[in-house]
Amino acid sequence: MNNYPASEKAFLGLNHAQVFVYVLMTVISILFLFITNAYLFRMNFQDWSPVPIPSLLWFNTICLVLASVGMAWSKSGAKASDHQKTKVGLAMAGVFVVTFVSGQTWAWQELNSSGYFLSSNPANTFFYLITALHAFHVLGGLVAWFVVTFKVFKGDATMLQPESVGLLGAYWHYMLLVWGVLFAMLITT
Amino acid sequence: MDQNSATYEGQKMYDPKGWWDTYVFSQDHKVIALQYVCVALAIGLTGMFLSLLMRMQLGFPGLFESIDAGSYYQDVTMHGMIMVIYLLTALFLGGFGNYLIPLMLGCRDMAFPFVNMLSFWMYFLSVIILVASFFVESGPTGAGWTLYPPQSILEGTPGGDGAGIILMLASLAVFIIAFTMGGLNYITTVLQSRAKGMTLMRMPLIIWCIFLATFLGLLAFPALLVGAIMLIFDRVLETSFFMPEIFKGGEVLDYGGGSPVLFQHLFWFFGHPEVYIIALPAFGIISELISVHARKNIFGYNMMVWALIAIAGIAFIVWAHHMYVAGMNPYLGFFFATTTLIIAVPTAIKVYNWVLTLWNANIKMTVPMLYCLAFLVTFLNGGLTGLFLGNVAVDVPLSDTYFVVGHFHMVMAVSPVLALYGGLYHWYPSVTGRMLNDTLGKIHFWITFIGTYLIYFPMHYIGFLGVPRRYYSNEQYDFIPQSVADLNQFITICALIVGLAQFILLYNFIVSLKKGAIASKNPWGACTLEWQALESPPGHGNWGEQLPVVYRWPYEYGLPGAKEDFIPQNVPDEQIVKA
Repeated sequence: MNNYPASEKAFLGLNHAQVFVYVLMTVISILFLFITNAYLFRMNFQDWSPVPIPSLLWFNTICLVLASVGMAWSKSGAKASDHQKTKVGLAMAGVFVVTFVSGQTWAWQELNSSGYFLSSNPANTFFYLITALHAFHVLGGLVAWFVVTFKVFKGDATMLQPESVGLLGAYWHYMLLVWGVLFAMLITT
Repeated sequence: MDQNSATYEGQKMYDPKGWWDTYVFSQDHKVIALQYVCVALAIGLTGMFLSLLMRMQLGFPGLFESIDAGSYYQDVTMHGMIMVIYLLTALFLGGFGNYLIPLMLGCRDMAFPFVNMLSFWMYFLSVIILVASFFVESGPTGAGWTLYPPQSILEGTPGGDGAGIILMLASLAVFIIAFTMGGLNYITTVLQSRAKGMTLMRMPLIIWCIFLATFLGLLAFPALLVGAIMLIFDRVLETSFFMPEIFKGGEVLDYGGGSPVLFQHLFWFFGHPEVYIIALPAFGIISELISVHARKNIFGYNMMVWALIAIAGIAFIVWAHHMYVAGMNPYLGFFFATTTLIIAVPTAIKVYNWVLTLWNANIKMTVPMLYCLAFLVTFLNGGLTGLFLGNVAVDVPLSDTYFVVGHFHMVMAVSPVLALYGGLYHWYPSVTGRMLNDTLGKIHFWITFIGTYLIYFPMHYIGFLGVPRRYYSNEQYDFIPQSVADLNQFITICALIVGLAQFILLYNFIVSLKKGAIASKNPWGACTLEWQALESPPGHGNWGEQLPVVYRWPYEYGLPGAKEDFIPQNVPDEQIVKA
């Protein structure tokens, strides 16, 4: 054993919040991995009858992309100490994510009114469950968005919190990535 | 609430104001650890009481009219779930993890104290929801702790058509959220908040164990969460994730097409790592205790760490050995039997290393050491019967018999509880500043150790006779001889004695708080940091003004030329007193 103090070094140069959020994203990935596994397992059974994917989901996907663009915009603003750009980016991200979640609920109503009820076929159930789980995690991100936005709007130009904005952005890009995989699975199976 | 009033080395400290902040909604890791321990022990006592009710029925069938088949199944189910999840998982990770991680790593608190507090209260909520199921109309679920559909959510299974199963699943979901909050904190703290000089390979083995067990939990619990959510859907919304076509009294139920085996996969993908979520912290406690109380450095530290990492990895590819009789492809069975046998290798490395640590050591027969020795033989016994059950051809006839009950109680009930008790005796002075009564400790140890063998050894024989587990009554079967009934009576009497003996521990705990001998700051002469704090018990912020600096590994016992037989981790070479 070395008999001298080793140098103090943060893990991979990350801060506390980054480790917390990155591990959380790993856990969430595992959750979606299981649900997609269950989906792919269950779809091979005879009673499976695929759900027609509402075209609204394409619009929602674009909203989620724009929300991510907003976060990226905000992050670059925070890095450049551009208060206005940070705020605009955050506002854009918030508006588009709320539109995304509203759009998802609209899509559920659309499916429901066309007779694709939750319990009438396992494909329907999976569709509702997977989209709801994703929306739930997006809403979790929205809570973090409120906290960061509050800090940014309350603070002056010297308190732009580039780390918080950057980390929130990472979570939102991650939610977009998860949605991309789920959406691709839903439209191709 | 002002959390910023004290700042040490740039880390903001939570500053409690008043009684509620200090003792109830506290963000101090030591208080949260105690809260976890108290709630887990309270619900654990409930679990033990349920097991005694079961034993009364098995030993003296029909003696209590209130124990009918339904309530028997409810007792079995709730006993299993409470002990595995709400007692052992919560106590090892929430209790020991919270107390030891910051103290042993030389930091002031968890990385996110507020989230840590939330974690405890979510856990508390999950326990409340679980207990609530005892008070709903049809009672708690009686589906067996594995909650296999379709029976778990159908009428006829106790709690299946009432709120019992829903509350059980909801409680599990809340527990998983609590665990995730706590787990993310443990991981972040271990990776980020170690004192200067505390490299990963200088961490005490128990911290490695808790760290890896937390990773296992974070990666395994989502499988249970997905299973629980889907099962709630099947139960409440009549979907058919897991429910096949079912006929009841000639009528077709609304279900159809689902796969019960899918649930089994999800459950055991969580369920098997869960065994290691419990076992790893027990390994960690034993590694600490055995080194301190044998006054010898742990044998093969690096090997121990790599064995732990190997166990944690392989733990994810053995789950289907719980499903050999579920209609599995023989080749798949062969694969899982092989991985199951492979996981015995790193586990055996650990056992050998503990034994080699004891070799030629200055063994002190303290109560914690007694528990260590008891753990070693019990874990070995339980592990050996695991080799039987891990092989498909042997498992098939033994599946669902009392042999399985004997096996898993030895390996994942008695062994971890022995480690747990050893840990409680060892760290009680650190928490309270007082020693537990040694005589009472030894009486409690011998009754518990011998008693548990008298309970679980005979179960292996009953299992060989083919007596099925989970049966409410064994009286009407020709193949079950009278000797089984006699043995069951014997087991029940032993279980009652062991059950009562646990109150000795409780009494010792409570009385020693006020009347125990005052403990010195480092009563066992340990090298790890939790015994090197300025105050005993450690105060808020743990270290006063200055964080400790670590100069050596945590097992520096019997250093040649040194006066003391141990050198704490925070003592530099130049301060070592020469003999």
